[in-house]
Amino acid sequence: MTSFPLKIVTPDGLIFDGQAEEIVVRTTSGDMGVLAGHINCVAPLGMGQAMILSEGKKRYAACIGGMLSVVNGEVTLVPTTFEWADAIDLNRAERAYERAQNAISSKDSTDMDIRMAEARLKRALIRKSVASNYRR
Amino acid sequence: MAGVSTKEIKNRIRSMESTKQITKAMEMVAASKLRRAQAQVLASRPYFEILSSTIETIVANNRDFSSPYLTQRPGNRVCYVVIAGDRGLAGGYNSNVLKLAWADLEGQDACVLPIGKKAVDFFRSRKVRLLTETYQEAEDVDVGDCFSISKLLSKAYRAGQFDKVCIAYTNFVSVLVQTPTTRQLLPLVPQGADQTGSSDILYEPDSVEVFDAIVPEYLGGMIYGALCESRAAEQAARRTAMDSATQNADEMIADLSLKFNRARQAAITQEITEIVAGA
Repeated sequence: MTSFPLKIVTPDGLIFDGQAEEIVVRTTSGDMGVLAGHINCVAPLGMGQAMILSEGKKRYAACIGGMLSVVNGEVTLVPTTFEWADAIDLNRAERAYERAQNAISSKDSTDMDIRMAEARLKRALIRKSVASNYRR
Repeated sequence: MAGVSTKEIKNRIRSMESTKQITKAMEMVAASKLRRAQAQVLASRPYFEILSSTIETIVANNRDFSSPYLTQRPGNRVCYVVIAGDRGLAGGYNSNVLKLAWADLEGQDACVLPIGKKAVDFFRSRKVRLLTETYQEAEDVDVGDCFSISKLLSKAYRAGQFDKVCIAYTNFVSVLVQTPTTRQLLPLVPQGADQTGSSDILYEPDSVEVFDAIVPEYLGGMIYGALCESRAAEQAARRTAMDSATQNADEMIADLSLKFNRARQAAITQEITEIVAGA
């Protein structure tokens, strides 16, 4: 399969820099796959799982926020957070999930609190599902 | 007479020594903080660079200027994000970046979003309109805060509260060199001519929505990058300043000890002369 150069960077550092054959990421308008020879394109990322096929191996990650850009065949993924399935702290996600649920069901939470908790809940859910489905 | 001056010199040596201990300790603290900050800068730099180069390419190849983030407005209301430190005793670190920002603000209808106590104090005492004073502690600001700042800025920018957003921070070039820099963040200006010619970019779902979603991310990333640079620069500046302070203290102590010994010797000689003369 033809490959293309892929770079993944987050504020925490350069996560991936090499050749990949296929990536699938969750953009704000749904899942989007990129193969070699893709047209120049820009898409904001939503919250969801990302699949990177590199050297014949599929790797999964929780990928939240940021953007995907394809410029002259070079693919750059600039998410706010990006965690490989085996690097996710499942216990932490579990705790965050419970805390967020408590905040949502609590009576003293303001609308703002509930919105924040919902965002946290969503992130925790993605981490949990990625970690439990694809951990080896 | 000689006796008084030896006592005075002794006192000065003692006070110099305690000052030296303080500067030495501060240098060591700054050195260890610098190590951490330097690691953070090195980790965040690829993000900073790739993010800004990606945005630059997209903007240079863009043909659709309907997004408010791309339109140049005629007004001169500008918002400055100024990043300085929380504490002094860091050589010229705070004053350099604040002076640069102050010179840039001149003649413009400006408001400031200061990060760090020194920046807040500086602009407050000069009666500049502050957007928010929430970020007093530059050391406690994290990625999440940077994204809240960027949300605040992009919302105000879209509401037309200002026509330009700039950032003033200190670039960490090396441990010995830190340069204060300003940079325009909004609106996005296409850099140079379009090299790729007819290349069109596919925006998913469409250009306005893409820019609406991406620009706050971009702002947040740039602010975070600038913050990392500034923090490392602050520690490096403090380390250098404290290092030279310690050296100066050493020199002065050596100088004073020499004077002290001379004065003591002179006193002894005089005493001997008096005794010999009396005998």
